[in-house]
Amino acid sequence: MEPASADGAPASPPAGRPVRDVPRTIRDLRLARDGKRKAAPSKLDNPLREGLRLERVPDPASLVLFGATGDLAHRKVVPALYQLWRTNLLPHEFMLVAVGRRAYDDLTFQAEIGKTLESYSRVPVETGPKAEFLSRITYHQGDFADPDAFDRLSVRLDAIDEERGTRGNRLFYLATQSSAFTEVIAQLGRVGLDHETHGGGWRRIVIEKPFGRDLDSAIRLNREVLKVFREKQVYRIDHYLGKETVRNLLVFRFGNGIFEPLWNRRYVDHVQITVAESLGIENRGAFYEETGASRDVLQNHLMQLLALVAMEPPATFEADALRDEKVKVLRALSPMTPDEIRSDIVRGQYGPGWVAAQQVPGYRAEPEVDPASETETFVAARFEIDDWRWAGVPFYVRTGKRLPKRSSEIAIQFRPVPHRLFKDSSEDPEPNLLALRIQPDEGILLRFGAKVPGLGLDVRAVNMDFTYGSAFNVDSPDAYETLILDALLGDASLFTRADEVEEAWSIVTPIIDAWIDMPAPAFPDYEAGSWGPEAADELLARDGRRWRRI
Amino acid sequence: MATDLTAEPRPGEPTMRWTSRATTIDGIERELAKIWAVTDLTTEVDGVEERHIAARTSVMNLVVVARQPELGEHCAAIISQLTGRHPSRTLICSPTDPDGPSWLDARITAHCMLPRSDAAETCAETIYVIAGGDTGRHIAAIVEPLLVHDLPVTVWWPGEPPLGSVQARDLFENADRLVIDGSSWTGDGLGRLAELARLVDTGQLAVFDFALARQSRWREAIASTFDMPDLLPYLRSIRRIAVTYGTHDELGRPGTTNMIKPLYHVAWIASRLGMTVLKPLSALGAPAAAASHLHATHAAHAAHAAGKHAGVKPLAGRGYAATMRLGQGEVGVVMRPVITGMPAGTTLRVELLAERRGSELRIDVTAEAETVAVHAWQDGVELLDRRFLAARRTEIDLLAEAIEAPRRDIVSDGAIRMAARIVAARPTEGEA
Repeated sequence: MEPASADGAPASPPAGRPVRDVPRTIRDLRLARDGKRKAAPSKLDNPLREGLRLERVPDPASLVLFGATGDLAHRKVVPALYQLWRTNLLPHEFMLVAVGRRAYDDLTFQAEIGKTLESYSRVPVETGPKAEFLSRITYHQGDFADPDAFDRLSVRLDAIDEERGTRGNRLFYLATQSSAFTEVIAQLGRVGLDHETHGGGWRRIVIEKPFGRDLDSAIRLNREVLKVFREKQVYRIDHYLGKETVRNLLVFRFGNGIFEPLWNRRYVDHVQITVAESLGIENRGAFYEETGASRDVLQNHLMQLLALVAMEPPATFEADALRDEKVKVLRALSPMTPDEIRSDIVRGQYGPGWVAAQQVPGYRAEPEVDPASETETFVAARFEIDDWRWAGVPFYVRTGKRLPKRSSEIAIQFRPVPHRLFKDSSEDPEPNLLALRIQPDEGILLRFGAKVPGLGLDVRAVNMDFTYGSAFNVDSPDAYETLILDALLGDASLFTRADEVEEAWSIVTPIIDAWIDMPAPAFPDYEAGSWGPEAADELLARDGRRWRRI
Repeated sequence: MATDLTAEPRPGEPTMRWTSRATTIDGIERELAKIWAVTDLTTEVDGVEERHIAARTSVMNLVVVARQPELGEHCAAIISQLTGRHPSRTLICSPTDPDGPSWLDARITAHCMLPRSDAAETCAETIYVIAGGDTGRHIAAIVEPLLVHDLPVTVWWPGEPPLGSVQARDLFENADRLVIDGSSWTGDGLGRLAELARLVDTGQLAVFDFALARQSRWREAIASTFDMPDLLPYLRSIRRIAVTYGTHDELGRPGTTNMIKPLYHVAWIASRLGMTVLKPLSALGAPAAAASHLHATHAAHAAHAAGKHAGVKPLAGRGYAATMRLGQGEVGVVMRPVITGMPAGTTLRVELLAERRGSELRIDVTAEAETVAVHAWQDGVELLDRRFLAARRTEIDLLAEAIEAPRRDIVSDGAIRMAARIVAARPTEGEA
């Protein structure tokens, strides 16, 4: 029997044994170059794949959705799957196995999903594709603590492989409360549903955020996950990474020659990253009381955006190369002392106010919220990255609930020109600005100075505005569509790795811990519909800067 | 005289914002300048008036050569749907009456698209030129002065492009991409392949053929079979490729049905695997002359195909054959017509046979409604039964894809070159 290497791949052949079809000698390679002998590709490569531009259709597979009756499944996961189905991006041999506690049968659950699609699909629901999609949904009732439910699930998945040709490929999707993660994973391991088989049959698991609630719990959760699955089988979702503009950030930075030379401390004055929400906590009071803005957004979305803006170019566009570079940025964030946390981190909580012409209650008056709650609904921070590229360039980040509008963007503020040349101009030229809008109206804006028409030499800032909508006039896929398709295709580039999650927690956990030791904050400290507490403005004002008007 | 159309724009819908006429190139240029002198490009953002510099967006020049006016109108309608996605300066040229006096009549229009209610309109110009006499014979002389400089030039030549003509060569000299539809060519369509391959070989012009693009889901289906690690080694041991295609000619005579699409299947596989041509494609003779094992097997498959596709009837003994070399082995290629209600030249089935170390792999790919179905058998045991959804694509989809295609497309270049090699010594009967 041929010996295998540690990762299961066949080891190199013994010395002296020729390897057929693969040119190894200089003569072989020369003949291949001259066209006299064709260079056969490695056996691992499929030459028919070369150059195919159509989106690859994933292998036949079952997607096993835990928490299928929950909000996330209904609002995001199922509509994304429907859209992938409608656009022929799911394999014909696809089954959605919905797992939940409620006593549904296939037909009742399918009917519920039918209504869900009408409410949450981002495209009009068409009768034909909808019927076909629903016919590929089956419901499996079971409590996550019930071993029998998982035994039955295993048998059922085998039967689906036989009947539907899903070939043993399974994507487990945990859209449950995070408290259920370890239980479900352990049960999957117990019945062997993590085992990949020799004749194909991959097994992958998608885990939704929050991935832990602090550094210790994240390490514990990673340990539990990795007891059952190998890291390459684990896909930790941060849906921000699936957004078109976030993906475009990589193309923008590394696919254009003119920006990267400017992307450093010499030309960049500071960076602002905003994730603003106009919504409140939307009946998730109990969840939000335990989470707050730091765990909900700062630890994941904001840290990921910061890492993508600041990272070095990866050597290849492969999952681990990308993630290695992001981890380096997170490691280079200066650890904060309690004093720095007091001065550089601002937390806030909204009081009553008006948002989008509607009067809204304060956070403490929301259902399931402690009337004396100290949970932050806003956080702003000033970070510095201790590396050659960014030393001395502040990165200001902010996120909050009940801000005036839903808007996320990354703004790169460049330094002003070193010398005032146009002395007759009524105002100094504004420094250049590059804003990458993530939502809504995904796009990129470049602000630069232009001469005002006329006899004088007045300089005015003008915007060069690229919006996806006007340049392509096509719908960008929803982040969940991108990420689910990537998970089915086995591409982990847009998912977070265990060490990445832990590094992000190692920045945020000391902040949360420091707050515990501080006196109770004077909450509420910002009115719903405003841009956060005054302290957030002061955070920038003391550096002679201000938040960008969005 | 210009007409300013001030209809209220609606997001996502193209709106005609300008139309005027001219009879000289200078006149066309003057009209184009006027469009941007009067269109209001100012918009209000957060209560402040801002000037959006990029409101007139052109990402390329799109030149259409339409020999019939109605074809020109058809192309213009397709292009107007792409205004937002691929704003371009479009020149539609319809040469007419080549032996008459020289004249030129141009209609200049601007279509705008509003991406959202508070944004600037995205506008693109279309210049529709009908030219007679000598003027019409020199399309390049009309086109060149009207191109937006520094932008790529795509030439879309629907119908029957005279690829080797001086007129075409002059036009291609300043072009970056040529878009054609080989499946619309008259006869068997194979006569233009050599010229097309020569254009690819120049390296100056990227060629995009709708016929090849329409088969993308077939390629995905065939390639996916060899994603299975156990089946990948068979790829180097293919011994037969058989393609069944539809015809409306009861007699199945060579040269009566366009074969570009069926041939591209063979050419794609052959080019990706580095095959060489031993015997170029030639018409099969009478049934008696085709008593080979290959042919007999194929006839059986064609009969099987007939059973699966209502209304199809195999035409025994008709079709084409070629022989290729792959490594040390020979690969038999058979392309067989069957009577069908589908459009003539449509691929109905692709079969691959591979033999390796005494083991046989058979792959059968068929189109069924809007799916492509793949079956694979290893030594008679069914290994694979997959379906790929393959919605039919409109010309709008195909043109959008042509515009977005990379400058050098190895699949397209390889397939076109190989197709030309496969038909190298082919008799030219029936070619228009």
